[in-house]
Amino acid sequence: MSVDTRSPGSPPVAGASRPTSPTPRSTWRAGRLIVLLGLVVVLAAVASVLLGSGRGPARPLDPDDTSLMGSRALAELLRERGVTVDRVDSTQAAVDKAATGDRLLLITDQAYVDVGRLAELPGDRLIVGDVIGLPALAPGVSTLPQAARPRSREPGCPLPAARVAGSAHMGGVAFRGPPGSTGCYPAGDGHTLVSYANGRGVTTVVGDGGFMTNQRLAEDGNAALALNLLSTGKPVTWVVPPENPPPGELAGEQGQSMYDLMPGNVRWVIYMAIIAVALTAFWRGRRLGPVVVEKLPVVVRAAETVEGRGRLYRARHARERAAAALRAGTIDRLTARLGLGHGAGPQEVVAALAARTVEDPHQLGAALYGPPPADDARLVELAGYLDLIERQLSEL
Amino acid sequence: MALTGRAGLLAAIGILVVMFAPLPGPALAGVCLLLAAAIIVDLVFAGAVRPLRFHRSGETLMRLGQRATVELVVENPGPRRVRGVLRDAWQPSAGASPRIAPLDVPAGERRKVVVTLDPTRRGDRTSVAVTVRSVGPLGLAARQGSHQAPWSVRVLPPFLSRKHLPSRLARLRELDGQHPALVRGQGTEFDSLREYVVGDDVRSIDWRATARRHDVVVRTWRPERDRRVLIVLDTGRTSAGRVGDAPIPLAGAEGRGGGLPAQSSLGSSLGSSLGPLLGPDSRPAPGWPRLDWSMDAALLLAALAAKAGDQVDFLAYDRAVRAWVSGESRTELLSSLVNAMAPIEAELIEADSQGMVAAILSRAKRRCLVVLLTDLNSAALDEGLMPVLPQLSARHLVLVAGVSDPRVAAMAGRRDSTEEVYDAAAAEHAQLGRRRITARLRRHGVEVVDAAPDDIAPALADAYLALKAAGRL
Repeated sequence: MSVDTRSPGSPPVAGASRPTSPTPRSTWRAGRLIVLLGLVVVLAAVASVLLGSGRGPARPLDPDDTSLMGSRALAELLRERGVTVDRVDSTQAAVDKAATGDRLLLITDQAYVDVGRLAELPGDRLIVGDVIGLPALAPGVSTLPQAARPRSREPGCPLPAARVAGSAHMGGVAFRGPPGSTGCYPAGDGHTLVSYANGRGVTTVVGDGGFMTNQRLAEDGNAALALNLLSTGKPVTWVVPPENPPPGELAGEQGQSMYDLMPGNVRWVIYMAIIAVALTAFWRGRRLGPVVVEKLPVVVRAAETVEGRGRLYRARHARERAAAALRAGTIDRLTARLGLGHGAGPQEVVAALAARTVEDPHQLGAALYGPPPADDARLVELAGYLDLIERQLSEL
Repeated sequence: MALTGRAGLLAAIGILVVMFAPLPGPALAGVCLLLAAAIIVDLVFAGAVRPLRFHRSGETLMRLGQRATVELVVENPGPRRVRGVLRDAWQPSAGASPRIAPLDVPAGERRKVVVTLDPTRRGDRTSVAVTVRSVGPLGLAARQGSHQAPWSVRVLPPFLSRKHLPSRLARLRELDGQHPALVRGQGTEFDSLREYVVGDDVRSIDWRATARRHDVVVRTWRPERDRRVLIVLDTGRTSAGRVGDAPIPLAGAEGRGGGLPAQSSLGSSLGSSLGPLLGPDSRPAPGWPRLDWSMDAALLLAALAAKAGDQVDFLAYDRAVRAWVSGESRTELLSSLVNAMAPIEAELIEADSQGMVAAILSRAKRRCLVVLLTDLNSAALDEGLMPVLPQLSARHLVLVAGVSDPRVAAMAGRRDSTEEVYDAAAAEHAQLGRRRITARLRRHGVEVVDAAPDDIAPALADAYLALKAAGRL
């Protein structure tokens, strides 16, 4: 048992004043561990960036990318087999390569290229995915509206490259080829691989490049299919998106960016504004002394339990209980007023009441001891009537 | 350290400078360097805050509803003038003003800051810290530091019911037979014999004494003295409920807890003239806790009993003894009581009636009047007090006093709409429970006082006087 033994005579009072704010030394002592830890974290981050592989974000279907999404493995395999793989990142480079001889042009849906110029190049083509400008690159091939889920599919066609490779991870877009074309790896109404020959060379369209990635190359017949499609004996021109968007290709007469159009001071004005806002924030944010806490007593009105009970009655339409409570209260007051004992029966109360008021005894009996009211309106009526009886009695 | 608005303003002017400078980069560097240099100069030449010394004096005791002043002397032993602002951080319900005071103390001198306290509730209010912000000569930056200069003011219960004391003391004198109108003392203890004066009650003539003398002699009686009164305050959860209208608004009485509407003060001002408005939207401000009304009644009873020559003890209990005042002299009693009551708040736990009765029995060895100030809540009493009441009433005279809720009475009377009728039924249910528990207590030989908050103190005093007149103490 804890006993509050504080003597009632004297409230706690006063002593000498002493400073409580931290000194610079104590601040340093308290914060040095955090500062050191922060330094360690920053150094570790800097070191990891500097010493790291310098790998940028993944570049899907890039012959130089070693991530899961890249295709470095396929390119290496091709080179081992004596196939020259040239990675080009612009339309101009592809056109230049094409001038050197008969080549296989590999265009994936990752590369945004000038379709018009590439479409005019002669030679074989391998088009992977839903490339923009497909009708120009592969005339006669149409894409079907419903996509095919990439999964392992059986070739189901006489094309030697696919038949030898067997099942492969295919899907993505389904195509319908022109008359005379060979469709493999069927999906729905179309095929996810369509190959046909025209005047320029053999054009092959594949719905998805998944089978060429480092991740999937070892599965199924993926490697075989990719090698069969690309090892045609011709050097491969592999078109990838450029590292940086080429400059000077912006809209407008001079091709200027928004930053070129801003006056030179604006950048510095923004820096100065940041400093000004920081100073103002520090001015407004510095509190004059500590926040004072205080244990406040709870604020709850004593009537809340009664109000809650009333609301429960109302919510459940508890007319029976409400009427019983109203009647009990009235009878309790009436018996005291009529000079009856607490054990007075219904007949006694009604008789005594009828003798002192002008009300009908039957009505009194029904109001005080009758069945519960049938609806809310009757309940209000009953409450009013009980009130009336009490008022009549008190006016005597 | 702290900055002032001027530093921000200078930086904002710097924006304009950088905007129109021919060389924006060097201009930005120049502005920043200038600003930093000015701030550093200001910090270096601002008066030091750390060596300041503070001395306090002023009141340590006050009644709720009064104002008190506490003086704070700031001594500056440093070599530079300390100019700026000072905040004496009191707890919010101490109502300290001014919150922030201007300060200008030259080197080696001292200045006085006066803080006025207008507390909004009982209890000990303390000053947590004194913070000084000393601005430098340029007005750009300031040194800031806090000091502890502890001071505590005990806010005592207001004892508003003392206005009823003169009339009850007059009644007491009537009982005592000392009234100028020569009314016969109504006590039961024989006091003295004196000569008959016209106006005396002939029934009090002592014929035997008259026969021995030539004069007619009357007996005077006086009420018993040196009886014991033990006032027990229940500080459990039922005492936390707020009832009535607060005569002095307590902290948290408005706009706190439970999302009270902003017009609550309007509701209470209307409520005093039109009767409290009832409805889902108009929720009047909660009044005082039952505990405070009970304290008010206890103080009136204690003052009256002390005047009547009785020994008054005081116990506050919920699950442990919160306060215990015993054996105080009649002159010291009231100050001891208010001191003991000041820090007591209702605990949000069920009171332990068994422990309370045990505490009473162990403290009151002789028969006394036990005045138990609690709530007449039938559910709480049924489980708590009723089983152990016989132990108490067998040895002592027990008086249970409960503060009723006028809001419930008002709810019971309003029956115009469906909602109001359901509320009225709930109120009737509560009132019926209260009347039944009262009847049961009376059957146990316990006196019961059940009154509205404003009437509880005089009603309790009257019940005490009635018991005294009847010689039941």
